[in-house]
Amino acid sequence: MEVTPIDTVATIEAPEHVRFDHRLAGPAQRGAAFLVDALIRVAVVLLLWRLIGTGLVGDDAPVGVLLVAAFLLEWGYFVAFEMLWSGRSPGKRVFGLRVVKQDGRPIGFVDSVLRNLLRAVDYLPAFYALGALASALDPQFRRLGDQAAGTLVVRVSRARSDDRVAVEPPPTAAELAALPPRPALSADELRALEDYLRRVGTLSPAREDELADLIAPALAARMGGLTYGSASRFLALLYHRATVG
Amino acid sequence: MGPTSLHRRPAGRQDAFVAAREADWKALDALLTDDRALHRQPRAELARFGALYRALCADLMRARSAGMSADLVGWLDGLTARAHDALYGSRRVRVVDLADHLLRAFPRALRRQRRALAWAAALFLVPLVVSVVATLVWDGFAQRMVSPLVLEQMAQSYADPLDGRAAGTNAGMTGFYVHNNVGIAFRCFATGLLFGLGSVFFLVYNGVVMGTVVAWVALAGHGRNILTFICGHGAFELTAIVIAGAAGLSMGDALLRPGDRGRFASVRARGPELVRLVAGAAAMLLVAAVIEAWWSPSAIPAPVKWAVGAAFALGVGLWLALGGRR
Repeated sequence: MEVTPIDTVATIEAPEHVRFDHRLAGPAQRGAAFLVDALIRVAVVLLLWRLIGTGLVGDDAPVGVLLVAAFLLEWGYFVAFEMLWSGRSPGKRVFGLRVVKQDGRPIGFVDSVLRNLLRAVDYLPAFYALGALASALDPQFRRLGDQAAGTLVVRVSRARSDDRVAVEPPPTAAELAALPPRPALSADELRALEDYLRRVGTLSPAREDELADLIAPALAARMGGLTYGSASRFLALLYHRATVG
Repeated sequence: MGPTSLHRRPAGRQDAFVAAREADWKALDALLTDDRALHRQPRAELARFGALYRALCADLMRARSAGMSADLVGWLDGLTARAHDALYGSRRVRVVDLADHLLRAFPRALRRQRRALAWAAALFLVPLVVSVVATLVWDGFAQRMVSPLVLEQMAQSYADPLDGRAAGTNAGMTGFYVHNNVGIAFRCFATGLLFGLGSVFFLVYNGVVMGTVVAWVALAGHGRNILTFICGHGAFELTAIVIAGAAGLSMGDALLRPGDRGRFASVRARGPELVRLVAGAAAMLLVAAVIEAWWSPSAIPAPVKWAVGAAFALGVGLWLALGGRR
C-alpha cells in the first residue's frame, strides 16, 4: 500500500485518469485574501455613501439604497465573483487563490451559494472563530462552509518550466571527472536533491551541511566510496552530473 | 516509486522532451490565457484544445514517470489543472433558469421537503400562538419576551390609522426590509449547520417576538391597524421565514442522520435542494419587502387591503402547492 505523506496538497484525478496536484491554501493566505475582500466592500459602501448620502439629507431613500448595497455586498459579493472569475474573488486573485470542487472541477452556482451562505456559521461567535477552529481540525483547511459545499481553496500554480537549478559556482571539469559518468540515482532521489538544491541559499550554511550530511555519505558509498569535501557541494555536483552530464 | 526504479537519465533527455513538446504547451497556454473565451472559440480551435489537452495529460504522466525535474512536472501539473478547469467548466446561470426555478423547481423541492416544512411551521406557529395568548392573559409576559422600550414604540407607531407616507420613506424602508429580512432568513438557514439548532432558535424566536408584539399592540387598542398592515406582505414574509427555517432543519437532519454517507457528504448531496429552498425564500422576501414598504403602510382602505392580502395568500398557496405539477 502506498503511504500518503502528510502534505498541503490535494491530488485530483481527471476523467483522463491523469492525476494532478493542487496546493492547498493555508489559513494565513485565506485570512489575508478575506481582509482584502472586506476592505474592498467597506470602500464601496463608503464611496456610495459619499456619492448619494450628501445633498439628500432628510430623505430616507439614499439610506435604502445603501442598505440594499450593503446586503448585496454581504451576501452576493463572493458568489458573484466566484461565478464570474471561476472561483476567485478579488482578494483571492491578489493572493493567487481559487475555490474548486473537491474533485478539482470548477465550482458551480450551488457550491458557491452554499459555501458563502454558510459563512454566517463560520463567523460565529465572532470573527470566524468557528471557521478557524474547523479549518484547523481539517487536513485540507476547509471551514464548515467548504466542508458542507464540498469545496477547496487552492493556490494557483504559476511555476515556470525553464527555471532550472543552477550549480554555483559552475562545476569544473576536474570535479565532474571525479564522479561516475552516470550516477545511479532513483527518480525520488533526484527529486530530493533538486528540492534540497532549491533551498540552498535560503538556509544557514550549517543547516545546509547538516541536511546534506543525511544523504551524502550513503550516496558516496554507493558510487564506490567517493570522498568529498563539502557535502552540500557534493550533492550539487552529483545532481549536475545526473541531469546535465 | 520505490528504490527499485533506479534508472539513469541520459544527459539532455528532458531538454529534448521539452524542446519537442513546448510549442504545444505554449499553444494550450495561449488558449487558456482568457479562460472565459474558451467556449466562444471557433469549432476548430475547440477541437484543437481537446487534442492539446489530451496530449498534455500524456506528457505530464511521462514527465512524472521518467522522473523529470520537479520544476517541469510542477509546471505541467499547473497547466493540466488549468486546462482541466476550462474544459470541465461550470454551466452559466441564465435568467430563464431562474424563472423556471421559481415557477417549478422551487415548489417541487418544497413539497419534497414537506416534513422539514411541517416542523418549521410548527416551530414558528406554536410559539407565535402561545405568545399571543400569554400576552393577552398574563401581565408582564410581553415585557419579559420583548424589551418594554420596543413594545412602547410598536404600540405608538400603530396608534394612528395607516395613512401613507412619503415615497422617500418607502424607498428607505424597502432597503431596510431587504437588508434585514433576507439577512435573517439566510442566517436562519445557515445556522441549521449547527445540527439544526440555529434554525430552531430563529424560528421560535421570531414566532415569540411577532406573537408578543401583535398581541401587545392589540391590547393597546390598535389591533386592527397592525393586522391591516401585516395582511398584505404576511403571506410572503411569514411563509418565506418558515421555508428558510425548513431548509436549515433539513440541513441539520442531513447532518444528524447521514445514512451510509459521511455527515458533510450527506449535506453535500442535499445541497442543490437546500439552495433551491433558500433562493425561493429570498425571492419571496424581496417581494414582501416591496409590498411591506409601499403597499402595507399606504392609505388604501382596510377592506381593499384585506381582500388583496387574501388574494396574495391564495396565490402563494396555489403556487407552492401546484407549481411544477404535471
